[in-house]
Amino acid sequence: MRAQRNAQRRVQARALAPLVLGLWLAAAAARAEDATQWIARVAQAARQLNYAGTIVYQRGNRVETSRIVHLSEGGKEYEKLVSLDGPAREVVRSQGEVRLYFPDAKIVRVEPRTFRNAFPSLSPEQQKSLTQYYDFRIVAGERVGGHAADIVVFEPKDGLRYGHRFWSDSATGLLLKARVINERGEVVEQFSFTDLQVNAKIDKAMVEPSWPAVPPDWQVKETSAGDVAVNDTGWVVNRVPPGFTKIMEGFRKPRGRRNPVAHIVYSDGLVAISVFIEPFSTAPVPTGMQPPQGGLNIYMAKQDDNLVTVMGEAPGATVRQIGNSVARR
Amino acid sequence: MNEKISRLMDGDLETHEVDDVCAGLTRPEALSTWTCYHVIGESLRGSVVVGIRVSARVAARLAAEPTVLAPRPRASATPATWAFAAAATVAAVSVVGWTAMSLVGEPPAAMAKARETTVASAVRGRPSNVPADYLLAHQEYAPAMAIQGMGPYLRAVGTQAADAPDDRP
Repeated sequence: MRAQRNAQRRVQARALAPLVLGLWLAAAAARAEDATQWIARVAQAARQLNYAGTIVYQRGNRVETSRIVHLSEGGKEYEKLVSLDGPAREVVRSQGEVRLYFPDAKIVRVEPRTFRNAFPSLSPEQQKSLTQYYDFRIVAGERVGGHAADIVVFEPKDGLRYGHRFWSDSATGLLLKARVINERGEVVEQFSFTDLQVNAKIDKAMVEPSWPAVPPDWQVKETSAGDVAVNDTGWVVNRVPPGFTKIMEGFRKPRGRRNPVAHIVYSDGLVAISVFIEPFSTAPVPTGMQPPQGGLNIYMAKQDDNLVTVMGEAPGATVRQIGNSVARR
Repeated sequence: MNEKISRLMDGDLETHEVDDVCAGLTRPEALSTWTCYHVIGESLRGSVVVGIRVSARVAARLAAEPTVLAPRPRASATPATWAFAAAATVAAVSVVGWTAMSLVGEPPAAMAKARETTVASAVRGRPSNVPADYLLAHQEYAPAMAIQGMGPYLRAVGTQAADAPDDRP
């Protein structure tokens, strides 16, 4: 009798299994959609809204305050970021072109265009990684810079990535605060608006650089003017950390460099890891982990006659693993 | 003594001198020199000026505690060396020193900060070998770029992008 009942239960369980699996998959898909939708909303708000505010950026024991003004006009974007403490710095973005002014060094860096124009366009793999490798949840909100915010948490399910916590404006979706957390629960990097006016009246003059496009007697440094030629570089990363997929592979022709540099980018939907491979010069370059740039870890390794540079918003071990598994295809 | 403090911070001190100088740091004037040099170094490197107030209480506290200061490994720290050379300038010391003294910090926090600063400068003192082009090229692909807008550029407005070499020697 009992055996019969158990058998019956097993049959029922088997019959239910596909349904349970189906529901679970549907739930996972819904979560992936939530995460993707949230990212799309925030990205869209950052692009389309007019706003002005003060940002406090922290990394390690450094604190930097900057003023940001963003104007979206006739589908075109203009943005100006000015450092308020430390050496004067200014970043001006105008219809995709970015200029970075360093008045003390009399240098202006020009970056021809940004990837950002093409966003949001996460690949299906990236969307899947978002919830497969992060616990995504929206938790109770709190106020940031005078605005009610939703808190969005991307908690890593393994030690290969950092945790991310975002505060987005409940009303407009604009990102108000972002925090990167390492495997020990410490804040690696954080930025936060201390005051922010959304849908502010922004004049074109407010997003124009404080200097002429190219001030006389300044040095212009054009960043990777040669752009990327997308193709097979002949290099491969043998041990790509789970969840990361290749989103770009090509050659760059950085200014003043004789040889093209291979550039391969991996992403898990939230962060990217870049691999640069170039012929190694004879000059002694200290390889290994480099001083981190906030949440950005950098690793250099020699690979026969080539120098491999890996950088990404991921723990040092992840960046190192990629750097140590670069090989000829 | 001041020169020895400077050399200690630069990792240039002979091993047998280290204990002496560390012991000397329990005296308020030596500790204030130590603090000043750090603040000068930090401000010359373009870092935030940390609020450290060296009070008699800190000195007393330090005297009561075992010395934890250890010489840091020698870094080929050109900016740091330059900073400490500049620290010899009386004007720099008085101006920056005044700033340091006028900032109020909780003593234990200040102590922790000073220690942290030593560690951080050991790492940061090393000039980066990473070309600025790479840092900016990488940013283009970071999805965070879309979420945070200009956020990732906040890193670039640090000193890095101007300092980083364009090319390998």
